[in-house]
Amino acid sequence: MSACKEDDPRIDGIQSRIRVVPNFPKPGIMFQDITTLLLDPKAFKDTIDLFVERYKGKNITAVAGIEARGFIFGPPIALAIGAKFVPLRKPKKLPGKVFREEYDLEYGSDCLEMHVGAVESGERALVVDDLIATGGTLCAAMNLLERAGAEVVECACVIEIPDLKGSDRLKGKPLFVLVESQ
Amino acid sequence: MATTPNSLVLEISGVKIVPQSNYHSGNSVKVKLLPNTKSPIARRTPTIYGRTNTPRGLQQIKSSHMAAQNVDSTDDRISRISSSIRVIADFPKPGILFQDITTLLLDPKAFKDTIDLFVERYKEQNINVVAGIEARGFIFGAPIALAIGAKFVPLRKPKKLPGEVISEEYSLEYGTDIMEMHVGAVQAGERALVVDDLIATGGTLSAAIRLLERVGVDVVECACVIELPELKGRNLLGDKPLFVLVS
Repeated sequence: MSACKEDDPRIDGIQSRIRVVPNFPKPGIMFQDITTLLLDPKAFKDTIDLFVERYKGKNITAVAGIEARGFIFGPPIALAIGAKFVPLRKPKKLPGKVFREEYDLEYGSDCLEMHVGAVESGERALVVDDLIATGGTLCAAMNLLERAGAEVVECACVIEIPDLKGSDRLKGKPLFVLVESQ
Repeated sequence: MATTPNSLVLEISGVKIVPQSNYHSGNSVKVKLLPNTKSPIARRTPTIYGRTNTPRGLQQIKSSHMAAQNVDSTDDRISRISSSIRVIADFPKPGILFQDITTLLLDPKAFKDTIDLFVERYKEQNINVVAGIEARGFIFGAPIALAIGAKFVPLRKPKKLPGEVISEEYSLEYGTDIMEMHVGAVQAGERALVVDDLIATGGTLSAAIRLLERVGVDVVECACVIELPELKGRNLLGDKPLFVLVS
């Protein structure tokens, strides 16, 4: 089950700035493009503010962002709530010793990595990405954090595609989104 | 006064001791502001030397320490930023000393100071656009854009951006790569910053400058956390100035 912030007056502006690009990356997919949101400073700021208002004062010590669009939303949230920012990356990008988590794609599999020592046991973490579809990537992210002993408090995304039921793959952890899209 | 002659104590105001852990391996990244960069803060906080085990010495240190602690000087912030960067030998290949900024991101104060140093420099400069180079440029570019009220434009590897793009090819050590930007992200006449975590040879940054200039954007400056000066990346930026925090 996910919490969605439909009632806030800032949501309309945010939703209207998201561009849908049909047939990307392949036919039949309606791609939710957040780059147009980033071109509107007020809408981008409102997006961050909505997350910050929810999470400040909740003792979140780590914000983990999923490469690469999670690197756009995660760091401003981390900075505003005084948490560390932890990049979760595709293989072979992080230079130090890493935890590695494999996950399934529609065809084949992929991998997400996190530096050993980035989070400590007992830390309270958020996972941030621009969008949740099937939830596979977010689930891998949660696994990485939990393997390091952190507690995943919530997953936070700008957009959810509810029909893909990604929130069911979050191991019982809550999901918070700003916009739901078909 | 019963003090040993060699008990000189260095107190730098406003800097918290970063806890040492196994993760924070010692490194020796040099710190300096480059000669043709303007320090965003004109005043300097004095470094305070003194002996702590005489009452008067202690008194002087304490009062200066407290006065100086109200504002972290540029030097203090840069010192903390520099020491939070981890150097990893032989990555991605033997002989390379990789400057790892992920450890900086784990120190909320150092990360905030990094962004503040850029924001202080650019907030009055009428910058309309901050272009960040995938992927580490996103981490620094997005917060800067938000703080100065500019749009954020991601510059990406091929086939990541879903809409119509313009592409710029650039050289790597072996072969070439391509950088893309969405058509319509920027308008002619806009004033832009280009942000990345590090400048090495300058190839990536110069590709970003070319991409933006092709659509009529005025690239005001390139901003990086780290420069590797021996690689002379500045030379590839043409007439565009470069601002870095750590060299």
